[in-house]
Amino acid sequence: MTPAALRSLAAVTLSLAASAASGEVYQEPGSFVAEVFGSAPAPKVLWLTGDLQARAAAILGHPPAQLRQRYWSEGQKSVWILEETGKEELITAGFVVVGGHIDHVRVLVYRESRGQEVRQSSFLKQFRDAKLAEDNRLDRDIDGIVGATLSVRAMERMARLALFFDRASRG
Amino acid sequence: MKKSTLALALAAAFGATPVLAQTVDEKLQILQQEIDQLKAQQGAKAPAPAPQSSASSADYGSMLDRSARLASGGTSFSGYGEAGYAKFRQSGDATADLARFVFGFSHRFDERLTLHSEVEFEHAVVSSEDQGEAEIEQAWVNYRSSDAVNFKGGLFLIPMGILNETHEPPTYYGVQRNQVETRVIPTTWRELGAGMHGVIAESFRYDFGITTGFDSGKLDDPTTGIRSAHQEGQLANAHDLSVYGALNYRRPGLLVGGGVFSGNTGQNGASNPALQGVPARFTMWDVHAQYRVAGLDLQALYTSGTLGDADKVTAAMFAADPATAFAAPKSMKGWYAQAAYHVYKRGNFDVAPFVRYERIDIRQAEDPANGLFADPRNDERIRVAGVNFWVHPQVVLKADIQWYTADKSQNRFDIGAGFMF
Repeated sequence: MTPAALRSLAAVTLSLAASAASGEVYQEPGSFVAEVFGSAPAPKVLWLTGDLQARAAAILGHPPAQLRQRYWSEGQKSVWILEETGKEELITAGFVVVGGHIDHVRVLVYRESRGQEVRQSSFLKQFRDAKLAEDNRLDRDIDGIVGATLSVRAMERMARLALFFDRASRG
Repeated sequence: MKKSTLALALAAAFGATPVLAQTVDEKLQILQQEIDQLKAQQGAKAPAPAPQSSASSADYGSMLDRSARLASGGTSFSGYGEAGYAKFRQSGDATADLARFVFGFSHRFDERLTLHSEVEFEHAVVSSEDQGEAEIEQAWVNYRSSDAVNFKGGLFLIPMGILNETHEPPTYYGVQRNQVETRVIPTTWRELGAGMHGVIAESFRYDFGITTGFDSGKLDDPTTGIRSAHQEGQLANAHDLSVYGALNYRRPGLLVGGGVFSGNTGQNGASNPALQGVPARFTMWDVHAQYRVAGLDLQALYTSGTLGDADKVTAAMFAADPATAFAAPKSMKGWYAQAAYHVYKRGNFDVAPFVRYERIDIRQAEDPANGLFADPRNDERIRVAGVNFWVHPQVVLKADIQWYTADKSQNRFDIGAGFMF
């Protein structure tokens, strides 16, 4: 490779680096909530006490980090902004639950260096209409993405948790 | 922690008091608002915080403590490992081995800059009298400009084949890694270098860069193609650098892709003076696919590589030490096809029997005058049948039987277990 070609390559890559927007935040959680409801309703809080905490821990495979979960709801619709670690870092995702089924899911923030494919609509649409089955599991299998095994599992756990929280919030 | 305790105490107190649920709820809402106000005041008084992702979502209420930690300089821990038992049918010998235990640290310096590393221990014990190895499998820094534009530098895995980048035991079938991606593609293949990678159009992951390469003066195994010439970032001779590129298309249940790697391996005679001025160019490419549908897992890979000046490499080995010299590899081809079916899935339990056929064809630059001929084990066909039993998505038990056509001493029965986190 000639020095001129190397300089051109360096210029192109530096230009790309400088011009690209931050890649991690796809949508601010507040914006997601507002998009779902038109204008965001007042948030509510689900307190994870006693049995709720134990069952949330069973879904996650570890204790929830906090004892209260904020959410938004109107009628049969609720929105849950959840976070769970993929391989190394947290994934932030928004789950819209309507009538005990997942209406849609969006990855809001992705921090891992690999596995961004969980943002794909083809991946996320697998959750559409999913509901809780026996043992707080989803009523369907979610196809994985090669190289993103742990991120896929994290998304699945969050989907279960959103449905479980929705059910718990309705008594 | 204090806030959680306070909240619990209040919740318990409210729960023990005969008030209307609505009233309790309203009070909790007020309490929530007050906590939020306190948080905001604390934030205003605090010294300038470390850079955070704007989406640490402190206002959106989930597992926020962890989020904040990771977004502003946290270190995380991961790992995988596997152990197995092999019973060789021809000799009757058996071995049990903690094949590998790997732990990794990742660190986030700021919103864009992260470190990724893995340290591997093989065969349980590492000492001058044992066969175990301790090695750095990965240690690289990533600068993320966007999903589509990442820069990396350090010791990283070459994106060739399926297994090289995704080799945690619960992600592949069989106790042993497949032989094509062991003897032909030298998994776990890592090099020191710099590269650029990213995801474009949602599903296409590209990766290219410039790295250290092989040193054909270091070849010491006649049955593993170029593998024994790897340098793994260990005082690597870097007179000759290599380039690589890969493109993979991923969708749920589908992977289609390929990679290419090319570079000279003579290293100006650094390991064998007879190779001074000999390019000995090594080029390898592969195509691969995975498809999952209705409980059926299908996977196939084809790879091909060549080593230029292989006759000169053979001659150089003979000149250096006739007793250990062998015919250098001049071409390496391999392919496999694998099918598995998930016959039982309930809760965390998942059982999938599988079959795999592997073909390895490594041709060597023979030197009949000096008695260096091709090794018959390099024309190999391997049939494998077995089962994976996931007791958890990240913990797997495995068993398989392997039949080798050429090297029947490798015919065996394996059982093993692996994990990842």
